[in-house]
Amino acid sequence: MNNEILVIAELSDGRVLPVTYELIAFARALAGDDSAAVYIMAAGREVQALARDLAHETGMDVVALEGDALDHYNAETWMAALTPRIAARKPRYICIPHTSRGCDFAPGLAVRLGAACITAVEDFRRLNGIVSFARSIYNGKIRMHIAPQTDVTVLCVLPGAFKAATEYEGIPDPSPLPGMKQDEYFQDPGSSGHVEVLKNQDRPQKIRTLGLIPAAAQDLDLALADVIVSAGRGIGAGENLEWIRRLAGLFSKSAVGCSRAVCDLGWLDHKHQVGLTGRSVAPKLYIACGISGAVQHIAGMRGSRFIIAINTDPRAAIFQVADAGIVEDLTTFIPLVLEQARDLDYS
Amino acid sequence: MKILVCVKQVLEPEGVIGISASGERIEVGPGALFRMNRYDEFAVEEALRIREKFPGTRIDAVSAGPERAARTVRRALEMGADQGIHIVLGDERCRTPFEIASLIGAYARDRQYDLILAGIMAEDDMQAQVGPMLAEILGYPWATAVMSIRLPHPSGAVQVERELEGGRREAFELTLPALLTVQSGINRPRYPSLSHVLRTRSQALIQIDASQASAAAPFSLPAPREWIVNLEEPAPLKTGMILPGSPPEKAEKLLQILQERALL
Repeated sequence: MNNEILVIAELSDGRVLPVTYELIAFARALAGDDSAAVYIMAAGREVQALARDLAHETGMDVVALEGDALDHYNAETWMAALTPRIAARKPRYICIPHTSRGCDFAPGLAVRLGAACITAVEDFRRLNGIVSFARSIYNGKIRMHIAPQTDVTVLCVLPGAFKAATEYEGIPDPSPLPGMKQDEYFQDPGSSGHVEVLKNQDRPQKIRTLGLIPAAAQDLDLALADVIVSAGRGIGAGENLEWIRRLAGLFSKSAVGCSRAVCDLGWLDHKHQVGLTGRSVAPKLYIACGISGAVQHIAGMRGSRFIIAINTDPRAAIFQVADAGIVEDLTTFIPLVLEQARDLDYS
Repeated sequence: MKILVCVKQVLEPEGVIGISASGERIEVGPGALFRMNRYDEFAVEEALRIREKFPGTRIDAVSAGPERAARTVRRALEMGADQGIHIVLGDERCRTPFEIASLIGAYARDRQYDLILAGIMAEDDMQAQVGPMLAEILGYPWATAVMSIRLPHPSGAVQVERELEGGRREAFELTLPALLTVQSGINRPRYPSLSHVLRTRSQALIQIDASQASAAAPFSLPAPREWIVNLEEPAPLKTGMILPGSPPEKAEKLLQILQERALL
């Protein structure tokens, strides 16, 4: 059986996104002693230079998939370009970032390859000769270990779940053209991976790319705040946001955040949203009020230095990441905190 | 035009969720609350809005699930779908996304749906796979995490915006027939109206035995491609501390912690 592991790089504006390095670390760990079996594929209009950099940085072989139609992500073109190249080598695992784009094409790719598909992978485990993958279900209340029963498996690996190897950090800028590089910059050219360039001629027939739409005006409050008090569906009603705002008012550089559910209910604007599809934040203090703790939310706030969770459900997943947990109804508990803080002269 | 909406019945994730003694499946205790996957409510609502724009549009709602899932198909009818299809699974075994996509694909294959809508994922297993898998099985183009749908004509093409990380979006035009999975927040799903509830009381669902549907599938599958090794309650990631005591004592302790850490 083929033991190769393929990592599909995620690029944006001609740069390799950090999640790609996390995937490489994940793939290396999954390969164990056989880490030479890991190789990378990068798709885009012109990705040769980037592929060479990746090969140097990682020592892994890189397949650069180039074509005009690959200028921007497009599910149809991605499928048409990737599938035959992957099918020809039949890697055992195909690692794709569990990002909006990764999740868009991974399941279809699995169907076309006849592969198993496991998404939102956080970890893997070898037990009794079975390699299984861990993922969260039911808003993080339960962890599922799931194993493929096919020769080829597509994995979507959750960003932030697997730490990138430290040696990849600190290379944030795209390198200059390869011709301009000094050879001695790379101490050991023998360790560099091989770059294979493949041209893609396929043009999409059914999906036309119309372009990228930038995010609405950034709310700097969230990024700059030392303290974020966040609301989840568990606050029960939009009126209860007043308690969240007043709790935030206790701190000098504070902001109000929320989970996706709160935006969906129309209680707060999307610019307040913390999580995978919202903002990623890392304040000194994060107070999660009525937030269940789905991985999508935790991915956006796990970097916070101190986390306090207030929730009526003692089994809520948010308590797993909290430094201090309070099992209370926030509509009665926050007033108590405010009252005591007033007595202590904090407000 | 003809629209198919895929809906799933899920166990209320906010309730108590138990694991069977074997550790292989979710234990459904007495009084367990089942309801329509919230993400699918957005898909149903989106279909209803398209029908409001193009009268004469027909909306079918389909669900593959055990007997109890009929309730969720009915919910789609109560919201306003025209016809409900229940692919009946004979047991409680948790099907993989590929199995479900194959079953729905076998049903939808020759029925010329112009548009198939689904929620971005299910609240229970959170795989986000059935939609794009179904599209691939049917040969439809697809877009996931859709936050905006523009349909100038009931045939031709649909323009969509998908949500990316950090609030960015990317726009595509898909030739119909196509499949879209909608992101939550694309609309505000309506509550069933009394008139729809009354109308659908006597309405029969189209019931299809799952074994029959798979025989009609154009491939020898669906055999599952993954299996659940076990389920477990996650171990705490941090040495988290649940504050003990009465509410005032907890409030006092909380303020003390914040002071000690110079956060106040």
